[in-house]
Amino acid sequence: MSAMMPMPFLPDSSVTIVQLYPEELGVAGDRGNVMAVRERLARAGVTVSVAEHRVGDSFRSDADLVLVGNGPLSAIRNVYDDLQTVAPELRTIIGDGVPVFAYGAGAELLGHDLALLDGTRLAGLDIFPFHAKRVTKRKVGYVIVDTPLGQVVGFEDNASLWELDSDATAFGTLVAGGGNGDGTHEGVVLGPSIATQVGGPALPLNPLLTDALIRSIASRRGFDYEPGAAHADLDRYATRAREVISANAKHVFSRI
Amino acid sequence: MSSLSGLKYFVPVVLGKAVRALAKIRGGGSAFPGYVTTKLAPRFLEDVTGQFRHGIVYVLGSNGKSTTTHMLTGVLRGHGLKVFTNPSGANLPQGIASSILAESSLLGRLDADIGVLEVDEAFALEFAATVPPSTVLVLNTQVDQLYRFYETERVADMMLDTAQQAKLHIVTNREDPYLSKIARRYGAGDAATGPDITYFGASDEVIANAPHGLFNATDYRDADLAPESHAALAELVATDRTGASIVVGGESIDVVLPAKGLHYGIDAAAAIATAAIILGDDFDPACAAGAFAAMKPAYGRGELLAITNRDGGDEKVEFVMFKNAASLQLNLDALPEPPEQVLFAIDEGTPDISWIYDIDFAALDHIDVITGAKAWQIALRLEHDGMTIGAVEPDLRKAIDLMRSMPKPRTGMKTWIVNYEIMMLARKQIGFLELENQR
Ligand SMILES: [Zn+2]
Repeated sequence: MSAMMPMPFLPDSSVTIVQLYPEELGVAGDRGNVMAVRERLARAGVTVSVAEHRVGDSFRSDADLVLVGNGPLSAIRNVYDDLQTVAPELRTIIGDGVPVFAYGAGAELLGHDLALLDGTRLAGLDIFPFHAKRVTKRKVGYVIVDTPLGQVVGFEDNASLWELDSDATAFGTLVAGGGNGDGTHEGVVLGPSIATQVGGPALPLNPLLTDALIRSIASRRGFDYEPGAAHADLDRYATRAREVISANAKHVFSRI
Repeated sequence: MSSLSGLKYFVPVVLGKAVRALAKIRGGGSAFPGYVTTKLAPRFLEDVTGQFRHGIVYVLGSNGKSTTTHMLTGVLRGHGLKVFTNPSGANLPQGIASSILAESSLLGRLDADIGVLEVDEAFALEFAATVPPSTVLVLNTQVDQLYRFYETERVADMMLDTAQQAKLHIVTNREDPYLSKIARRYGAGDAATGPDITYFGASDEVIANAPHGLFNATDYRDADLAPESHAALAELVATDRTGASIVVGGESIDVVLPAKGLHYGIDAAAAIATAAIILGDDFDPACAAGAFAAMKPAYGRGELLAITNRDGGDEKVEFVMFKNAASLQLNLDALPEPPEQVLFAIDEGTPDISWIYDIDFAALDHIDVITGAKAWQIALRLEHDGMTIGAVEPDLRKAIDLMRSMPKPRTGMKTWIVNYEIMMLARKQIGFLELENQR
């Protein structure tokens, strides 16, 4: 349990995925991101336990991966105090190399701050190097991003602009969709961690992204991970889904 | 009630009807005729509907508008009322205007005692300025169409604001965290100036037995996340495969439901509560039960359509239609056993399907054919559960051929779980022409 002790690799030791606020920040199928990591690890023979962190829970400092998703402003306000409480522990594990995959409003809470339409500003945890600003223009539809890992596809649905610090690294270059709002970039990375507006959810649709997160868990925990025959159906369906999304990405869904 | 001076609407109505006739010949849209008439005679809709003895009822909600409108219309007709209602799904202002126009005489009269209108949440408040409601029934607030409404609390407020336009009655869901708090919008003891508020609901036992609850959205903006407690005029106390028991005013009514599912039982309680508050002493539980027994299924909800299989044998297709996570989960929860032959389909008519990762598919033991533009995305989701998948065929026509080529199921019935757009397409492809959606 102690973060100070180097952890020896045990073949039967399990990987712990922590999902933050699954009810409040989980309106965009964010459980799918948890499911993708768990399933790909399980099919590689790795035991996985999923811990859902709720308001009032003590933080799981043995987390190997932290996932957080999207929710409305009222939900943000509900989890806000608890998030401040767990912030020191969250910063500690991130400092130890534990990756975070953050989507939507959950990602915005981990940035510098979030400016709302009514002029108020919510301070973030200052983990990811960007400022978020809510705007009136909404981006809805399929999104495609070229990243160093490969092409990432998904569905975006937000009315936010993300302004990255000058020395920050974007997640990728926009091929289709709205991205950060500047029309060129999407998301932000910090070591093995990613903050993004690519939903869908992103991890099932993009095995290359999921595998990159898993590899950073594996190298930290000292085990080998290689997808194999057990992953073939997941990969095949993801490939075909991605083809259709790429073909239909010019659709912009808006009705009002 | 405004008086009508003879020929004031003659020209606008004639023009509107002419445009409608032309639009029908050309197979075009149905909203434009309403636009023409209301431009020429802006007060036409209010004057026509203002003649209804029991006024206008709006039916709003994230889920169940069509079904409940259909039920309420049936119950009111069962009590001998002449009911005007809009066709299923034609719930945008111009579409409603067109259907009012279609039924109006050249002098701007419509022979009805009451209007029951399914209205889209986003346009309801604006529409209330044109066609003021006497009663507003609000069914539920569910996480739905976020690409359209952004945040669930925003759609809750649209519906609550509209409900407050009701002149006489608000009827709403006691089990819904947002809606159950509507009385807080009125000053205490000021009942004389506002509409009265009536609740429908489900018993604690019914809710406790629901595998995934009722799917109403949590009210995160209130310190009390849960619904507020109230007495319900109509309460769902039991459901079974074919029907539901609803207690209204202390008396239990057994009703036949158009399709299986807890949500249909709650819709029935909503319709009964609304009919009871509007009809007052004239409400008759036996009439209500009789009306449910005589009701045909609403378009695509619990309909059984005939299909021929590869051997020329007769089979039935049971459509299980869903619009969002809530309706899909509640429909799955209502399946009495895993269906023998299953088609599952979603197309781009449902732009964002990220919520399929929140659905529990344990009610299915396999899927034979997945189709629609989202077919591969669905297959990917289900592969995460290790679901047995027969074929993934995005082309609907080919997918239907695959379903037809299967041997006749033991039950004689194939189950097609589809979004609204696929239901419309699939009906056509198996030879059922689009109906005028009459209720
Ligand atoms: Zn089968």
